[in-house]
Amino acid sequence: MTAVAAPSVSTRARPRGFRRLLITELKLFAREPMLLFWGLVFPVGLLVVLGVAGGDKAQKSLGGVKLIVAYTPVVMMFVVTILALSALPAALASYRDKGYLRRLSTTPIGAARLLAAQVILNFGLAAAAVILVALVSHLAFSVALPQQLGGFVLAIALTLAAMLSLGTLVAAVAPTQRIAAAIGSLLFFPLMFFAGLWVPQASMGTTLRDISHYTPLGAAVPAVQNAIAGHWPGTVHLLVLAAYAVVLCAAAGRLFRWER
Amino acid sequence: MTPTLETRRAQTATEVVVSVDHLRVRYGDTLAVDDVSLSINRGEIFGILGPNGAGKTTTVEAIGGLRRPDGGAISVLGLDALRNRQELRQRVGIQLQASELPDKLRVGEALELFASFYRDPADPDRLLKLLGLEAKREDRFANLSGGQRQRLSIALALIGRPELAILDELTTGLDPQSRRETWKLIEGIRDEGVTVILVTHFMEEAERLCDRLALLHHGRVIAIDTPAAMAAGAAGRQRVSFRPSGVVDVARMRELPDVRDVVRHGDRFTVEGTGDLVAAVMESLVRDGVVPLQTRIEQSTLDDAFVALTADADAVVSEHADPTREESR
Repeated sequence: MTAVAAPSVSTRARPRGFRRLLITELKLFAREPMLLFWGLVFPVGLLVVLGVAGGDKAQKSLGGVKLIVAYTPVVMMFVVTILALSALPAALASYRDKGYLRRLSTTPIGAARLLAAQVILNFGLAAAAVILVALVSHLAFSVALPQQLGGFVLAIALTLAAMLSLGTLVAAVAPTQRIAAAIGSLLFFPLMFFAGLWVPQASMGTTLRDISHYTPLGAAVPAVQNAIAGHWPGTVHLLVLAAYAVVLCAAAGRLFRWER
Repeated sequence: MTPTLETRRAQTATEVVVSVDHLRVRYGDTLAVDDVSLSINRGEIFGILGPNGAGKTTTVEAIGGLRRPDGGAISVLGLDALRNRQELRQRVGIQLQASELPDKLRVGEALELFASFYRDPADPDRLLKLLGLEAKREDRFANLSGGQRQRLSIALALIGRPELAILDELTTGLDPQSRRETWKLIEGIRDEGVTVILVTHFMEEAERLCDRLALLHHGRVIAIDTPAAMAAGAAGRQRVSFRPSGVVDVARMRELPDVRDVVRHGDRFTVEGTGDLVAAVMESLVRDGVVPLQTRIEQSTLDDAFVALTADADAVVSEHADPTREESR
């Protein structure tokens, strides 16, 4: 995201106040009860329900794994999507609509740093939430921790890059904060469908599963699943994620507007 | 410069902190600023006045480095407004029209956040006290009244201890009480040596606060002067109105050299003119044995100057329709 062309990035050394900006954004995030619910309470609750209801038996329809094992990566993607498509675009679009970006562009920090702070914050929060989901699954339902850690980190990092770019793009093309929220929730359903929230990928028909592997979250789920099981994620999945990250980031950078 | 200003600043040689030379800014097909040249001295409150759409905001945005000019040159504190933007942002505080903060950001947090951007910021607590916001420190932005938001916005523009403060539509939306308090505050800032550019369409504000004014119209400067000189320069128009005790010879009064017009509304007469209008009218009435009752005298104000100058400019433009015309004063 640092490639985003901004009117106000300084070429000088690190500007003052960036840490304070990051902390302030974190505080503001913590004041949004809806985000905390959908980004944290709900996914963990969902995980617990699936873990308890699914029982201990491996299921054939899920490709021979327990329900909780099939759903752990899906719940991870759920949290990532809430942050990337709700939290991030809502903050960026409202800051633009309110003229806060413009206000900051009159100060030495510049408006681009606020965008950077938002991306970094949501990246960090999403990464923390993914770890939390992995830990809950492991401790409560003895799902294995990612055995192929390097592959896991790479898959999650690429997923976050693609999804946060998509969130920035949503904020960029939406003329108002309301429309940004509408686009975000409109994208949520197909993305999460292909991730396997309603029908796990293992239960999808071959064609549907092939299609899903070319969507961002549909590629992310098997990549993460492989890494948890101890294999290096499939090259195609990683390439799909990387391609989305590059294209979406470039589009967001090109289209982002700093003023209403 | 008028003598009063020169004596006030006799001890310090005049230092130009902002110089704008033939500025031109267009948005797509619209020419927001056509040709603006002005220079602002250190320590003065410089007003930018004009009707809506005159190019006031665009001009100060260009001075603040927020707009790229399509033509002309701008130097601020000896820096190029575009090339030295980073340094400029350290030294220039800008209060923009209609810019809000995040709803859930608290007043104290906002000041501390903005303070962290600057090399040598002012003390947030002192500034809060100065602006009467100390009781609001823990309040969220969304819960502030219009006046409180405005004062917070001023505080944020001043937190970096700027040498130049640009304040756009400072007191719009404030009640008369807070407006007067804000004026006092601005004078206080000036007394601490800060140069202030004030964009306004309130004549009273300009008259009270500004050392000098530029009047903008259709993206051009049509006058630069002190408020007093500008008001007087509006042809020194005056108005006397009265209710006569007897019959007035309107025709003869119209003949008087200083009288431009006599209008009658019911039993009330209004005489408009210049020079020693009041004396001439009174003398004429006394000669006829008429006593003027309920006499009101109106001097021309900055308001009149504003209307007269913009109307003149419109007339000139429509007569000559010459886009290359230089400013007239």
